[in-house]
Formats: sequence, structure tokens, C-alpha cells
Amino acid sequence: MNRLIAPVLSLILILGVGYLIFTSVGQQLGGPVKLRGAIGSEKAEFFKDPELQSILRGKGFEVEAVTVGSRSMATTFDLTGFDFAFPAGSPAAEKLRRDKKVSTSFDVFFSPMVIATWKSVSAILKANGVSSDKGKYDELNVAAFLELVKAQKRWSDLKGNAEYDVSKPVLISTTDVRSSNSAAMFLALMSYVLNGNNVVQDATQATKITPAVAPLFRQQGYQEASSAGPFEDYLLIGIGKSPMVFIYESQFLERVVKKSLRPEMRLMYPSPTVFTKHILVPLTPNGTKLGELLTNDPAIQKIAAKYGFRPNNPDIFNTTVTQYGLPIKTNLVNVIDPPNFETLENMIRSLETK
Amino acid sequence: MARGLVLLLSLLFVSCGAEPTTLNVIAGSEVRDLEPIFQDMKRDIGVELKVTYSGTLDGVERIRGGEDFDAAWFSHAKYLKLVASQRVLQEERIMLSPVVLGVKRSTVDRLGWRGKSVTWGDIADAAASGKLRYAMTNPSASNSGFTALMGVNAALGADSARLKGFFRGQVLTAGSSGWLSDAFVRDQATLDGMINYESVLLSLGRDKKLKEPLELLYPKEGIVTADYPLTLLSAAKREVYQKVVDYLKSDKVQTRIMNETLRRPATTDVALSSAFPKALLVELAFPQTAAEVSTILGRYLSDQRRAAHSVFVLDVSGSMDGERIASLKKALRGLAGEDSSLTGTYSKFQKREQVTTITFSERVSQPETLLVTGEAERKQFRDTVDALELGNGTAIYDGLEAAYAYLAKTVPAEPDRTHSVVLMTDGENNAGDDFSAFEAKYNALPAAAKNVKLFPILFGEGNTDEMNKLAALTGGRVFDGRKSLEAAFKEIRGYQ
Repeated sequence: MNRLIAPVLSLILILGVGYLIFTSVGQQLGGPVKLRGAIGSEKAEFFKDPELQSILRGKGFEVEAVTVGSRSMATTFDLTGFDFAFPAGSPAAEKLRRDKKVSTSFDVFFSPMVIATWKSVSAILKANGVSSDKGKYDELNVAAFLELVKAQKRWSDLKGNAEYDVSKPVLISTTDVRSSNSAAMFLALMSYVLNGNNVVQDATQATKITPAVAPLFRQQGYQEASSAGPFEDYLLIGIGKSPMVFIYESQFLERVVKKSLRPEMRLMYPSPTVFTKHILVPLTPNGTKLGELLTNDPAIQKIAAKYGFRPNNPDIFNTTVTQYGLPIKTNLVNVIDPPNFETLENMIRSLETK
Repeated sequence: MARGLVLLLSLLFVSCGAEPTTLNVIAGSEVRDLEPIFQDMKRDIGVELKVTYSGTLDGVERIRGGEDFDAAWFSHAKYLKLVASQRVLQEERIMLSPVVLGVKRSTVDRLGWRGKSVTWGDIADAAASGKLRYAMTNPSASNSGFTALMGVNAALGADSARLKGFFRGQVLTAGSSGWLSDAFVRDQATLDGMINYESVLLSLGRDKKLKEPLELLYPKEGIVTADYPLTLLSAAKREVYQKVVDYLKSDKVQTRIMNETLRRPATTDVALSSAFPKALLVELAFPQTAAEVSTILGRYLSDQRRAAHSVFVLDVSGSMDGERIASLKKALRGLAGEDSSLTGTYSKFQKREQVTTITFSERVSQPETLLVTGEAERKQFRDTVDALELGNGTAIYDGLEAAYAYLAKTVPAEPDRTHSVVLMTDGENNAGDDFSAFEAKYNALPAAAKNVKLFPILFGEGNTDEMNKLAALTGGRVFDGRKSLEAAFKEIRGYQ
């Protein structure tokens, strides 16, 4: 018995040790280092891009991207074993940086927040003086829209609604504000307008507007935790579920590039609007290397533009816009700042108790 | 030595990064129709799904209780995320099916609904006036009923009288969407329609199981769509999970799911086939908190649903002595309010319910009936259970004959109640009438009593063959109590 097993064991040992040597040499020779990162779901398709993966492999990286709600990433999600976190939104990144004591982070690209809507819905909003046609896109007057919500209007109450005579309340769908950045940006925007076009600075101001803000979320009912959820509803289930959805501009543009939008879909910019920065927070030295690469490599930034993100270099983005005929608003002037992390956090908490 | 070798080999495989090739999934019975696809998946990507089927709340309870599953797969994960969000690591919707109402062609005409955009309000009015009798699963046991209940609440608001009218039409209930569909086929002559997944309703038409086709209604206020998210629960299985998701969401498999199961694809890359009606899917809001969900469920069970009249025919023969009678008493005390688990709360005897107990050994007891108004009667029932005494002999069919004779009198007097009989026996019939004598007497019953379904529980040395025959005769279903009598009784509550 032993005579048979001993040689087998030695063989296995040799193979095993050989494998270990092979892999470690492989890494020194430039075989890919596996990186694991937590990313907001809006960047999932970007990380799956074969061209990006091949550039990263060329630089010695293989990235496993796990999608997590950006705000969960900064609060409840366990990042042990992760090389980087790549949330959407400066508030989440700010908190991560502080909690993980990270000094350098990377502003990789940014996106204005927009609304994905439909031509028939757009026509109703125009007929009711809430939005205006800017050619390739619409512009939503946020203050006027909030008046409709305040008056508890339903789509069936509005003028010219023959094509969308639905008894649902007039609302913009968002993700769950507790876990996702895009909903937090929605809150930032709505609170700014309700606060007389001023960024909410303190608890007194926040308390005053909470009664007007709460129904914007509460009436939606159950909300998905990450931004892919409501946009997927828009794409899959359509106008019946999602007449208006608050998303990143990139989510819409990515689909324009892929020509996968239906002709009746329409892009709408809120006025004012708010930007989301996509900030990579490294948690290991390899994470730092990846951050540098994503921010500075023009080829990677070009790929990002194809997924609708606005890189820091506007020339790269403009080339993509021309190439694919993206229906974007170029002169984004009326842009507000989100409140700081604590104020935003307090507002979200006060909504939960409403 | 051999064990050492296995250990070393397995260590070596782990260090080489060999992936585990199974995914342990707890799933709703609705996804059972995907099993042929699971077989091919094993062949195509080498991942085997080990599926444990479970009811809605039962599944949520097991996950929340920390049971070790890699993933969950129910028709929606909203409720799971409301009560156990920390266990949900990732989710990906695999397919879509709205919960809608299928109505017989002649009923659509009779109600003047042809060409009209029907509302849940219209449906509630028709049901309240007795003009629409439909099948729908029990919301505390099955996801299609649960989803419909949440939708109807969103559409009709908290108008309890309106909801009560709506549910007056729910004359057939069940604990599973698939069983409900089979029961609908059996009882189609006496029903007007069924609330179920679009996929189930379309399948009935495709498989030519109906004498009269069902027309699908997508009420104007909206519907709730089941989106079947495959939900990751174990971080260690992330890679296998992703492989499964990528496979299921490939265009090839999405097309196959659409064609074979008549569910809508969860990708815009696969175009909807002509099998699906061109309906505007207006989506109703789903409750935002677990507390809202439990309020809605609680009101349905205690105030809005058709009140149940549940008849229990219980074996108290000598062979039940010891552990058996103890577990029967425990199960019954659980139904009488002693089980404080999530499923226990919703399966306990509800306000307005009538509970009738008939016991048998060689002799059959007089039916004893309680009208539940609250805790007092539940306590009274527990006391009755505690006082159960064993006799000799097993006169199963005499017991059942007593139950149906009782129902022949009570059913006509209680047109707004839902009646059912549960039979629990642990042995062979050895006294009184036999199966064929019972069958003859059952067949001679007036229709009202004959329509009452019998749910036998397999237990001890009970005769499986005869239990199956009883279920088939009455349109009921057999439940297996051999592993857990308590679980079997709770499951039956979904059918009462």
C-alpha cells in the first residue's frame, strides 16, 4: 500500500510546488495581478469591456469588479480583501477616504445627472409648462415640476395626456436613497431648489424642507438599492413602470453608442443639475496603480467616453460625442454643489423616519 | 492514509484555484419549469444547481434564520430585502412575468368588459356582487398571491370595504401557483378566471388545457411584475454565481426561457415574441417597509379574505400513542397561536375563521366547531387539543363521512366561506366503512359538499395509495407529514 502511495504523493508534491513556482515566476514575468474592486453598478459595463481588459492585462492587471450600491460601499459593505472602492459621488468617496485613512484618491471621470424619459411623457410635460424642447434633448424646470408633485398631480390629471393616461402620481423614479448615490444626488438637487436655490447647510434648513422632500421618495414605494435597477426597469418594462428615471448621463449615452435605445426614448436634463464624480479610492498599493492608470491613460479614458462618462480631458469626450452623435447638452452652467456628507446623511436619516 | 491523500489532493486543488461547481439555491416552486435548462447548464458550463424548493415566507424565514444557501431565487426579492437586507450580496433579474387576471371569454362579454380598459375597481365591483369568481393563491404562502395582494392594495388604496368585495370573488385558493393552475383546469366549469403569472395563464392556452380560453387583463391602474432575481447570499460563491448569471442571461438562454416558459426576457437584446399581448405594463408601487407588508397581509387574513371554515379529521387511535400524539398536539397548538415564527404568525387560526374538529378511533366524535374572534378561542382550541384521548381502532372513512355529512348541512348556510377538510391518520383503516363505501357516499353528496377539497397528510403507516386516491377524488392534495407534522399543517393552511 505504502509503496504505491509514496510515489504518488511525491509526484503530487512536485506538481504542487512546481505550480507555485510557475505562478510566482509568472507574476514576476508580468502575468496579471488579480485586483478586486467594489464598483457602483453604473460602471459594470465599462469594466466588462474587452478592450479595457486587454489594456489592463497588458499592464499586468486583471480586475474583478463587484457591483455594490455606492453609499452601501461607504457604510455597511465589508471591503476586506478589496484593492479599491470605486463609488459614484464625492460624498461616498469622501467618507471612504476618511474611514480608510486614504490620502490620495483619483477623480477618474464624471457624469451630470439626467432623467431618462419618453417622447409621449415629454410632450405632456411640455404641454403643462414644466419642460422645454432643446432639440436633441429636453430641459426640465425642476421648480415647476416640484409644484406638480406638491399638488399631488397624477399623469391622468395633466393636460394633453391622451398617450399616457395613467393614474400613477407624477414622480421621478430613483434608487433607494439609503444605499445609492444617484438617489442621494436627486435629494441634493431637490433640496437645493426647495431651499430657495441654496445648498442646504444645516439641520434647520433641512428640517424645513423635509415635508416637501419626503413624498418624492415615499410615493415611489419600494426602491431598488442600485442605479442599474430603475434604469433596467425603464429599458425592459418601459413607460408603464418608469415614465421618468433619475440616472447618470453615462447610462443613457452608453445605450446611444450601442444603438440599443428605442426611438421613443428621450433624454432630459434637469435645470439646475448636479454632477457626480466617479472617484477611485485605493485600499492597497495595487489599487493606487490602477487608479493612476484609469485616470491618466488616454486609451482608457477614450473607452470610458464610449460608456458615456465624461473624462477630465474634454477633447476625448468631444471626439466621442461627434463620432456617435450623442444628444448631449454641452454648456452645463446651472450646476449645483451637493451638500456635505454629514448634512446629506442627516437629511437621509430624517427621511427614513418620515 | 487514503483519507490523507484525499485531503492533500483537495488542498492542492484549492491552491490551484479549482472552482466549486455547485450552487446551493433555495427557490420558489415556480422556477421548477426551468429544470431542463439547469440540466443543459451543467453540461455547458459545468455548474450544477442544487435546488431546495420552498414557499415565499418560509424561504425568507429560512434565509433570515441563517440557513446555509449560496443563493435564493424567488419571483421577487423585495420582501427578502425588506426583512433580511444584510444577507443579500448581489442580485440579477433573470426573467419577467407580470401578475395579471385571466378571464373567460364569455365572462368578459357578460360583464361588458370587451374593448374597455378595465380597472381593479371594476374587478372589485364584479367580484363583490358575485359576478366574478376567480382563483388566486394565498398571499402568505405563494408569491403570485402575495404580489397580487400588494398590487391591489396599491391600486385600491386602504379602502378595506372595497378590498373585502374584491376578495369575495376569490373562491379557489392554494399555497402554490402551479397547483392553483391545475386546480383551475379541474374546476374550470365553475370559475370565471384566475389571478396568476402571465406565463402560467399563457401556458394554459398554449397547452390547450381549457375548454374556454382566458383573456388576459392588465388593469388600468397597473400590475406588479415578478422579476425573478437570482440573489447571491454567500460571498464565497461569487464567481460561480456570476457564471450562472452570465449563462442564464445569454441571448440563447433568454430566448429559450421566453419560448419554453412564456416569461419575458430580462434583456433588451432579445425581442419579445408574438406570444405576448401588446399591453402597457403600468407598474404599481410595492410597499416600502416590512411593516407595511405585514399590515397588508394581516388585514387580508383577518378582515378581507373569505373567511375559512376548516374541518380537521384527526386520528386518535392507539397507535398514535407517545411521540405521535405529542407531535400532533404540538402542530395543532402551533396553529392555535403558539408558533411565533413568521410563517406561524400567518398560518394561525384567524379572526372570523370557523374551526371544526372531528376525532376518530373505532368511533367517531361529534363535530365540535369554534368561531374564532381572537385569542380566547385559540386558547379554547389548545385546551381541546390537550384533552385529546386515545381509543382503539381506526375508522378513517367513518370519520370522513361524518365530516362530509356535516359539510352537506353547513356549506349551503355559509355561501361566503371557504371550506376544506384536513385528514390526519397514521395507519390503515380497520373499522367501519372502507374506501369504496366512502367513495359511493361522497359521490352521492349534494354538489355544495362535494366541492369541498380534502387534504390528507401522510404520517406513520398511513396508506399512501388511499391518501392519493382521496385527494384525487375531491380535488385536494396530499401533504407529507412524515418529516415534520408541524410543517405539513402549516403548508396546508395555504390551501384553506
